[in-house]
Amino acid sequence: MTVIFDAGPLITACKFMVQGKLVVDCLSPKCKIIIPSAVEEEVAILGASYPDGIAAGERIAKGEIQVMPVTERQWAIHLASYALGKGELDSLELYRNAEAEALVTDDNLAFIVATRLGLKACMLPDLVAELAKRGELGIKLAKNIMEAIRPRYRTGVIEHNIVRLQEVKGTC
Amino acid sequence: MLKVVVSVKEEIIQAAERRRATGVGDDIASFLSELINLGFEHRLQQLYEKYEAGEISFGYFAKELGLSIRDLYAALEERALPTSNIGAKAQ
Repeated sequence: MTVIFDAGPLITACKFMVQGKLVVDCLSPKCKIIIPSAVEEEVAILGASYPDGIAAGERIAKGEIQVMPVTERQWAIHLASYALGKGELDSLELYRNAEAEALVTDDNLAFIVATRLGLKACMLPDLVAELAKRGELGIKLAKNIMEAIRPRYRTGVIEHNIVRLQEVKGTC
Repeated sequence: MLKVVVSVKEEIIQAAERRRATGVGDDIASFLSELINLGFEHRLQQLYEKYEAGEISFGYFAKELGLSIRDLYAALEERALPTSNIGAKAQ
């Protein structure tokens, strides 16, 4: 599974730990994480004073997170009037170039715009649930990840995905 | 702390001087510094409301406030505010 990460989920994945491992280290062996150069700059370069910025930079250097430049702008005119930042714009543009299966964003506007462009958007907890559904992550680990990242989400998001995990468990 | 020269409305200076004259506050610079901090907080809250409503993205929010994405993430964490704006607002 190839996914594009927006800045917010990347910070969260590089910040929170589960069973002694960063969330990003639980996810990256199970899916290909790609970010545009703008997100690398936002998280790993401008955020280098934060431990998660360093963690992101190290994983980029090791190739566990792949950075891709946006070479073609297909939707520049469509996106011009939305109040989006550079990282979000580039994440949307990169989707087709990278042949991604989903854009991982925790941002309402980016999520809606992606959906309006016909792209599949999901939040970080949705990705965790999806990987569990595909048998790539254990249910217990997925649930622990949900609980670890819960403080960054509004009500309903984690609860929804806990139910999804219970459904997956029920089918096993 | 960084010191800068800024132009300030006459009425704000008069308010600061009146506060000092009446013994409410004795330091004009501290009063003005407090106003700047309150202004920044007010701007952050204004933009957060727009972000909460889904009118602006996180990246746009950061740019408008003059913070990096990561600094804005930290600023919201410090205020115990979710960094995602999808889902129901806490009651």
